[in-house]
Order: sequence, then structure tokens, then C-alpha cells
Amino acid sequence: MGARRLVEDMIHKLKDRDSLILVGSVMGLGLILWLMALPLATLPAPIGPAAAQFSAGALTTIELTLWASVFGLVLGILAALGKRSHIPPARWVADLYVWVIRGTPLLLQILFFFLAVPAIAPQLQLSEFWTAVIALSLNVGAYNAEVIRAGINAVPTGQVEAARSLGLSLVYTFWDIVLPQAVRISLPPLANNMVALLKDSSLAYAIGVVELSMVSSRVQAESFQPVPVFMTVAAIYLLLTTTFTQFAAALERKLAVGKR
Amino acid sequence: MNTMQNGTPIIRVEHVYKAWGAFTALNDVSISFNEGEVVCIIGPSGSGKSTLLRTINRLERQNAGRIVVDGIELDDDLKHIDAVRTEVGMVFQSFNLFSHMTVLDNITLAPRRVRKWSADKARQVALELLERVGLSAHAQKYPSQLSGGQQQRVAIARALAMQPKIMLFDEPTSALDPEMVNEVLLVMRDLAESGMTMLIVTHEMGFAREVADRVIFFDHGCIVEESSDPQQFFSNPTHPRAQAFLKQIKHAA
Repeated sequence: MGARRLVEDMIHKLKDRDSLILVGSVMGLGLILWLMALPLATLPAPIGPAAAQFSAGALTTIELTLWASVFGLVLGILAALGKRSHIPPARWVADLYVWVIRGTPLLLQILFFFLAVPAIAPQLQLSEFWTAVIALSLNVGAYNAEVIRAGINAVPTGQVEAARSLGLSLVYTFWDIVLPQAVRISLPPLANNMVALLKDSSLAYAIGVVELSMVSSRVQAESFQPVPVFMTVAAIYLLLTTTFTQFAAALERKLAVGKR
Repeated sequence: MNTMQNGTPIIRVEHVYKAWGAFTALNDVSISFNEGEVVCIIGPSGSGKSTLLRTINRLERQNAGRIVVDGIELDDDLKHIDAVRTEVGMVFQSFNLFSHMTVLDNITLAPRRVRKWSADKARQVALELLERVGLSAHAQKYPSQLSGGQQQRVAIARALAMQPKIMLFDEPTSALDPEMVNEVLLVMRDLAESGMTMLIVTHEMGFAREVADRVIFFDHGCIVEESSDPQQFFSNPTHPRAQAFLKQIKHAA
């Protein structure tokens, strides 16, 4: 009985427009990445012959973005909690982290993780891709921390009092009451950070990750035709960021249900 | 009105003191409340009524004094605090329903998390409670889709779902439009008749007069008058501050 109700409930929820956009944009992103090479291959040189490269580059860009988004969200929540902690060392670590990351260029951070960290500790040598993921995660995490902290502060104290008065522990109060509402409040700026991250992932090019910008640079260098190459890459970036913003906007409207 | 009174104190408040800076909210307050008793706490704003309620489930920490609820001393031990909170339900002036959850989820959350009930059991109890407060049709709605009176009734159902021994009401009708006050008072009257131990901070004098086993009058952080004969208290209070307060309220009404 419970399972059936759950399925009916899900079908009911999926019927509204925002859910369709949510599902649609995820599937759309998959389709774009999967089928992008087909239309690109029909274009004249220098784009057509490099279609597979563009497609692979876009996939790498998205992989970088999604991994760094997930880690960055976790880091952002942890750092936001650290900044609000009653334990001074936790506050110091979180403040230091946000201060350093936001005060230095991302390109420098990527190079640091690629060149300086292995120089200090050779056993920490990772592939270019995972080095980029770590640097991007730490970067977006610091920006997310401020956004999530503001979101937590914006949850009315009455919500916490109600939860605590029902006997819910601090952990459940945070997980069930504060975090969902904080994320809902933080969603527009968080989505902004994700879109910025997608574009910033192009800096992974500096350490040799073969993502979209690296592909454009290579194809341009082989063909000496910067105009069609960079136009194509810009169009692909726009397509990706638009899909992301559509997803975020639909999610925002969806989570706004029940908002006061 | 109440028959369950058996004289056992379920809440003991001893020499409790609470201040914020220079402002003293509770000044050496000592009082106990019996099981099954319905106590209305009245008095002017800022007199310490709400603070007393909020120290009883540790939403405020007293600066000095002892509070023992159902045999559990409210010290700094988080386990004791959580144990008291599971036995003490609270209803707030501003409802404080979880705005991102449906009515049903608002009610089932704490029983599932704290009492470790199954989803089915929590749901069943929640639906029974919603029926009791007359809101069965609204289980799947969000708080923002309900009127103030409906929200407050959900808040009462949410607190009752934990099957508390004591219910605290902190000005439950003060934020309501006048035409919604009655629907909430009806639910509370029903609860009082069922034998629940209730502490009610209220400005509804008619309700207090009718339902209370005992009335407590607060002024400047102290209990200045206490009466187990509400009829007598409301028609003929002894303390001058209580006389002035009731007179003013009568004028307003």
C-alpha cells in the first residue's frame, strides 16, 4: 500500500510543468552530450572533422562541473557550519579557508594543486582531471560557504525552537528543518555559483585537462581559423549554461512550494 | 472543570531567576504544577509569563534556580533537556509550522525521528489528530495554504503527536484574526477536558475563567497573585496590580 501511494504521489508530482523542466533539462543535457557530435559533424572544416573532439571536450567540462558541484556543496555546508560553530578552532579553519580561496585567483589555485602540492608531498600526485576537480571544488566551496551561511541565518529562529521543543536533536533539527530551508533560500545564488563554475572549469586547460576550451585551442592551432572555432565553442558553452540555469530556475520554483 | 487532579506535582520550579542584562524576566519564581491541572498564566507584556513557559522546556536557560519536570532535572545535560522536551509539547504564538513540509509531514516528523515510530504508525496517529482538530481534509497542504487558525490547530496536533504529558501554550491566539480565535480555543477546551496538564499564557480572560483550575498573575517577573478559584479571581482580585490589569482589559473589551 505504501509503495503504491508513493508511486502515485510521484506521478502526481511529475505532472506539473516545473518537474517536466527538471527532468527535461537533465535528459536534455544527456542528449546534448551524447548526440552533439552528429550535427557538428555535418559542418564544414574546421568544425566537422573535429566534431568528436568537441563532444568529448564538452563531456569533460560537464564532468568537471558536476564533480566539483557535489564536492563544493558539501564543502560549502561544512564551511558554513564551521563559521557558525561555537568551537573557536572550527571557526578559525573555516574563516581561513574562505579568506584564502576568495582572495587568490582560481588559476593560481589550480596551478598550486598541480605543481606545488606534489612538490611538497609527491604521494598526493593525482591526474590532471582530479587535480582540477579538487581545485575547483575548494574554490566553489568557499563561495558556497558564504551563500549557505546567509541561508542558514535567514531561517527563522521559531523553526528551530519548534523543532527543539518537539525533542528533535540538534542533528535532526539541522538536517530536517534548517538545511532544507537554508538551501531553498540559497538556491538562486548557489545556482549562480554553479554556472560560474561551469565557465571557470575552462581554467583546467592550464594544466592540460582536455576540456572544451583546450579542444578549441587545439583545433584553432591546427586550422588557423579562430572565428568558426571560437564561435562554436561559445555556442556549446551557452547551450550548457542555459540548460543549467533552466534546471536551477525550475528547481527554485519547485522548492518554493509552501514558502511563506 | 477538571477531575484528574491528584495533587502530584509534575513540574517543580524553585527559586528561578532569569535576566537579560539589566532586564529581569523572572525574579526568584517558585511554583509547582500538578498532573492534570489546567493553569492559565496572565499578566502584562514583559512580566515574565512567556519566559516561565520557555524555561520549562529549556528554550531559555534560567540563570539560577531549579526546574524539575516529570522527575527529570533540567540541568545542562542535553539528554535531560531532550528527555523533557519529548514529554512537553509547546504551541507558539506564531505557530512555527515547518514551512517546507506538508501538514502531515509536520506532524509525523518528530514521532518518527524521536519516538522511532514507523511511517505507517506516525501517519495513522497524525490523521487521527487531524480529525480531532477538524482538519482531515488538509493533510497534504502546506502551512502557507492554511488560515492562521488552521495553522495553530495543526501546531497543536503536531505537539500532541509526541503524546506529551504536558502542553505549554504561549499566547496561542494572540496572532490570530478575531474570527479564528474560537476554533483554536475549542480545541484547547477539548484538550483540557481530556485531562491534559496544560500551562497557558493567554490574554483570553473569558477562556481562562472557564477552563482554568488555577490562575496565576505575573507582574515584573514575580507571581503576585495565584488563585485556584478563577471565578473569584476574575470578579474580585486581591492584588492592586491584578485589579488594575483586569480593569483595563474590561475597559478594552
